[in-house]
Amino acid sequence: MHEIRIAEDLSLIVLDTARKENLSKVTKVNISFGQLIQIVPDIFEFAFREIVRNSVVQDAEIDIEIIPVKMKCKNCGSDFLVKDNLFACNVCSSTDVAIIQGKELFIKSIEGE
Amino acid sequence: MEIKIMKNILDRNQNKANEVRNLLASKKVLMVNIISSPGAGKTTLLERTCEELGTTFRIGVIEGDITTDRDAQRLKKYNIPIVVINTEGGCHLDSHSISKVLSSFDLDNLDVLFVENVGNLICPSQFDLGEAFKLALVSTTEGDDKPAKYPMLFREAKAVLLNKIDLVPYTNFNYECFRSDLKKINGQIPVFEISCTRGDGLEEWYKWIEGQINIRR
Repeated sequence: MHEIRIAEDLSLIVLDTARKENLSKVTKVNISFGQLIQIVPDIFEFAFREIVRNSVVQDAEIDIEIIPVKMKCKNCGSDFLVKDNLFACNVCSSTDVAIIQGKELFIKSIEGE
Repeated sequence: MEIKIMKNILDRNQNKANEVRNLLASKKVLMVNIISSPGAGKTTLLERTCEELGTTFRIGVIEGDITTDRDAQRLKKYNIPIVVINTEGGCHLDSHSISKVLSSFDLDNLDVLFVENVGNLICPSQFDLGEAFKLALVSTTEGDDKPAKYPMLFREAKAVLLNKIDLVPYTNFNYECFRSDLKKINGQIPVFEISCTRGDGLEEWYKWIEGQINIRR
């Protein structure tokens, strides 16, 4: 259900940007979500559409890029993608690892006219 | 026309959380964000912890609940400052709601502030409240698959409490499965296996949380 709150905050940013840029219509919203955030895209989009109904954003296409989880090993320094929920280094097996990608909740850009 | 924005969608929450974190650091108050499913034992853990540490430390509690003040009522007997945040349906607390209620506490006379988040394993782990750290509390009756299903929480938390170990004989909870899943997700996280009703394992927990409070003081 956190989709609703995230959609709300996104709508504020999009509407604010559209106003500042004098857009009469927003055609596309480009966002990225990290895989760890566990967003359900359908619920998110449904919530977003309800929130922006009757605004310049109402017909915008929503492009959601899902970013895989990437980690850095603090022991041997290698970067690796997490597979099957295994958060350990795939080179040296150390569990002393840090997430460097996969927690994003990011708005990249909007498109409009 | 494309307009670049490149911004964290939850910036508003993050900025307020940073404010809260700075304020609490300046007051030397340790804020702990407790996250669990409904019924895992957050309030019972707080009851036990207030009983054991209430005379050594000045404890405060923020009770996040969708509705009612029943959890707060249970803690009333410890004579500690408690503030209830009713989210009215909201599935998590956020930094703005925490910031608003902080003025109800005398932060100069507080060592630790426990936040009992709304019972839920997904949403609360996405919203920084400005806490020093998150705690993941799970209970054996929920099954052994919680770390595998909710990796974000078990990555973000500083420690895991596995509650209701006294009930294991009546469930199909598999310790090996739980421990090996957790190890895959966060191989370095301390785990306290406890029973808040019977008292098993609580000494270790008290010692650990005492250490955390003392670091901040």
